[in-house]
Amino acid sequence: MATATNPSSGSAHRGVQPLRAGQGHSFLLRKLHSLSGVIPIGAFLLEHFLSNTEALKGPAAYAAQVKFLNSLPWVPVLEWGFIFLPILYHACYGLYIWSSGKSNITYYPWAGNWMYMAQRWTGLIAFGYIAQHVYHLRFSGVRLADHPGASFAKVHHELANPWMLALYLVAIIATSWHFSYGLWLFAAKWGITTGDKARRRFGYVCTALAVALITLGIASALAFLNPKYKYGWTESPSAQTTQSQLQMPDVAASK
Amino acid sequence: MAERTIKVEIKRQHDPDGNAVVEKFEIPYRPNMNVISVLMEIAARPVTVDGKETTPVTYESNCLEEICGSCSMLINGRARMACSALVDNLEQPLRLEPLSKFPVVRDLQVDRSVLFENLKRVQAWVPIDGSYDLGAGPRITPQVQEENYPLSNCISCCCCMEVCPQFNVATGFVGAATIAQVKLFNDHPTGKVLKEERLHAMMGDGGIQDCAYAQNCVVACPKELPLAQAISDVGRQVMLQAVKDIFTT
Amino acid sequence: MASTPKIIVIGGGLAGLSAVMKIAEAGGKVDLFSIVPVKRSHSVCAQGGINAAKNLKGEGDTTWQHFDDTVYGGDFLGNQTPIKGMCEAAPAIIDLLDRMGVPFNRTPEGLLDFRRFGGTLYHRTAFAGATTGQQLLYALDEQVRRYESEGKVQKYEGWEFLSAVLDSKGVCRGICAMNLRTMELRTFAADAIILATGGNGAIFGKSTNSVVCTGSAQAAVYQQGVCYANGEFIQVHPTCIPGEDKLRLMSESARGEGGRVWVPKTAGDKREANSIPASERWYFLEEWYPKYGNLVPRDVATRAIHKVVYEHGLGIDGQPMVYLDLTHIDRATLDRKLEGILEIYEKFVGDDPREVPMKIFPGMHYTMGGLWVDADQMTNIPGIFAAGEAEYQYHGANRLGANSLLSCIYGGFVAGPKAMQYGKNLQAAEGDGGHTAELKRQEEINRRLLSSSGAENPFKIWRELGDVMTKNATVIRYNKNLQAADGQIQSLLERYRNINLSDKSMWANTSFAFTRQLLNMLHLARVIVQGAERRDESRGAHYKPDFPDRNDEKFLKTTKAFFATDTNGPRFEYEAVDTQFIPPRPRRYDAVK
Repeated sequence: MATATNPSSGSAHRGVQPLRAGQGHSFLLRKLHSLSGVIPIGAFLLEHFLSNTEALKGPAAYAAQVKFLNSLPWVPVLEWGFIFLPILYHACYGLYIWSSGKSNITYYPWAGNWMYMAQRWTGLIAFGYIAQHVYHLRFSGVRLADHPGASFAKVHHELANPWMLALYLVAIIATSWHFSYGLWLFAAKWGITTGDKARRRFGYVCTALAVALITLGIASALAFLNPKYKYGWTESPSAQTTQSQLQMPDVAASK
Repeated sequence: MAERTIKVEIKRQHDPDGNAVVEKFEIPYRPNMNVISVLMEIAARPVTVDGKETTPVTYESNCLEEICGSCSMLINGRARMACSALVDNLEQPLRLEPLSKFPVVRDLQVDRSVLFENLKRVQAWVPIDGSYDLGAGPRITPQVQEENYPLSNCISCCCCMEVCPQFNVATGFVGAATIAQVKLFNDHPTGKVLKEERLHAMMGDGGIQDCAYAQNCVVACPKELPLAQAISDVGRQVMLQAVKDIFTT
Repeated sequence: MASTPKIIVIGGGLAGLSAVMKIAEAGGKVDLFSIVPVKRSHSVCAQGGINAAKNLKGEGDTTWQHFDDTVYGGDFLGNQTPIKGMCEAAPAIIDLLDRMGVPFNRTPEGLLDFRRFGGTLYHRTAFAGATTGQQLLYALDEQVRRYESEGKVQKYEGWEFLSAVLDSKGVCRGICAMNLRTMELRTFAADAIILATGGNGAIFGKSTNSVVCTGSAQAAVYQQGVCYANGEFIQVHPTCIPGEDKLRLMSESARGEGGRVWVPKTAGDKREANSIPASERWYFLEEWYPKYGNLVPRDVATRAIHKVVYEHGLGIDGQPMVYLDLTHIDRATLDRKLEGILEIYEKFVGDDPREVPMKIFPGMHYTMGGLWVDADQMTNIPGIFAAGEAEYQYHGANRLGANSLLSCIYGGFVAGPKAMQYGKNLQAAEGDGGHTAELKRQEEINRRLLSSSGAENPFKIWRELGDVMTKNATVIRYNKNLQAADGQIQSLLERYRNINLSDKSMWANTSFAFTRQLLNMLHLARVIVQGAERRDESRGAHYKPDFPDRNDEKFLKTTKAFFATDTNGPRFEYEAVDTQFIPPRPRRYDAVK
């Protein structure tokens, strides 16, 4: 009922306010959030997962990949501009989005609603994990940009702790899920998959992507624990470097 | 043998600022009762299960055919229309509560005027020149009519908003019902003259960007409107408009 | 008086919104009062369509044919001049609705599609799926919302009209209304008011009407001196789904597709329908009308069902219901042809009509009578106009399908501009125009109700009223029963004085508002039963077995009821019907007219 016409009722300003047509910046911020999840964060995620699969080929191949990446121009700019800051924005605005929504899965236990909730929890897990991951492997211990040969060992050391391994597995699943469903959401919200059928079909694609990422991620993580390379990491860094330099063309070709 | 009864628990609140209390009723069972007829029965004998005299329950209703959109409420926790909620299909005790996202007026009656205000903000109408005789309207193919007709079936019950995890005071999200009307009028040959204005309205705070695709609206809508379809179509229109704005302003 | 008159429209259904639109468009100031948010008005319930002789099917349909069908369908009781005007305006109204964006069904060429409806041989009914009323109402609602956002219309949703404010000369100067949340009483000034408050189904307890269709507003102004015309003409639809709360329409197409109507031969047979053998079922329509069988016209089917239940006492399980059986038709056929309506039954009853026979009964559906109005839609009190189902003038003794939406819009389109014109020429009121006195009178009524400490529950009185009216004043009418019914209504009026409000609070008190409506319903009920008693003939929806024929000599007349303050009941006058275009002829649907 139109209480607005009735000054004495006093409930005109209670409840959810109407659309603020033409006001505010949430459209831009929200779209940036959604875009940043795909580019650059999603793109980097794919690159990172693929790079890590080099671990399957052994410490040398992995070191070569690390070295290659660090040979790219303007690495600090790339790191901060295309990875750290976007992730920070995506995470902070994501938390803000989470805080403003309210899950109601108890009464409406429907598929989309589960996905809604899962997207928030996987995002949180991914962010927490990424924070510790970046701190441990990028900002503490041996600086891998200078010593790419130590990279396999550094990761091996991290994963040797069974708790850490468990965290990695959970995080790989959460991150893959978050990205894949995020990609589906992106396509739906940006008007790329406008039909019900298109969304369903793209849903299959995203599910396949999630499965692929999870498989690759877990395989890569377990590769660091391969007994074959148990002593590999003790090789001298210099020897490693030479070897990897020699292998570089192959790595590039294999991509 | 004891006569068969229906047990009902109703969340009652005397006025917008009052405390909510639950009153329990037990009324004689008859076959094919719906929730409205339970409330009518209580009105004719407003006595709780403990024998305490109380007042008839306040609730909104009108057509009782699920076409006017008045009687939405939470029935056993879920938003739905009371007229089409058959007691025989519901778990007892029946739990009746007002919609949770709208200010309570009294008992089961809430204030849903925000939807009508939103329809104004997006100019959900066809801006005709006048009501005088200007001849026939634009030709519309049966295919377009079949696409638009379902959207025009929205009964403004607000179930889609109630079940949406994003519709709340913090977001001020506009909700699926209004977005569906934006699509309806943007797709009309005459209505589209306001398309750009509607899309700009949709980009405001609380606009379409706040949808998070939980798609509860699609399941909850009693008239089965193609809401996800409407939201994604309007989403595309808004994005195209945003891109156009970047290059033309 | 004023160069821009102020008009108040009461009721936000099709008629009210049409009037508001015209007034806003002409630059008038208009306040729109409605009990419910206007988008929830009863007009949404109309399903079938809206008639207009657009002649888009190459059948040679004309507005004259439409006019003739309407007058003939109404058994010649309708005044012909306004009906002719309506039928002539219809094609342009359809065009306008089309321009407003009503999603009418289309032909492959993109033109409006039309279907056939009862009482005509032409494809004359434009439709939008099975929700035409809803679509029309929304289109008008949207236009009015547009005017509202431009500040040309002020809506008062959640306000209930209580009475007209009349000045010392008996001229209307505004209204008194009650805020249904704060229960505040207030008068609002206006140069003219338009009542577009719909039908009065609630007087019959359960009907196909919405909850707000109580006839309360009409009854209020009737008690203030407005004439109520043809009250005895009530349309009863033969196939409704009886519910605990209301009656829902079951489309005639169920019988059209082969549905059979029957009851168990034994009274009080407790067996499930499917377990009753064919030899113990009575297919009474097929027996009584071997030629037409189950497809006899609506009024005939209605009377037959009524007779079987009330005179033979053979309603299912002692209840007023008969079976409408589709179970002999295969599922695929049913789904192809009747899916929509079968789903309605399934949704509201819970049974699958493909497996179990439907339980149906005739139900009060439409109020042909209403406030008496002249060619300008103005009642006998200057400044009070009426439009839509609330007035009497377009349907005579029986309404044709798909003419109601048309009459609502047309009536509003006439009433709006005419009210403006009237307002422009109105002289200023003396003193306060009666506002203080009327407010005081209404406050006094509220005070008395709140302090009443009797033992009568208003909802129980209402149920009894519904039973009395449904039993005696719907399908078959006997003078003896009508007299008894009037007596019963008078005793209900007596009991009303001992009403007990279980809720005396002054916030969103719906039972208080209902109790006020109830008194008005009781008064209007007397107009209906007494009007019926006086009309000793059978015409259209009004049927008396003791007077089975139409009697043009005595009763080709409009019944006009006035409220007599001395007897606190109706006083009757009769007025000749305008038949200048089509001379009355016998109404027979079994032969070419």
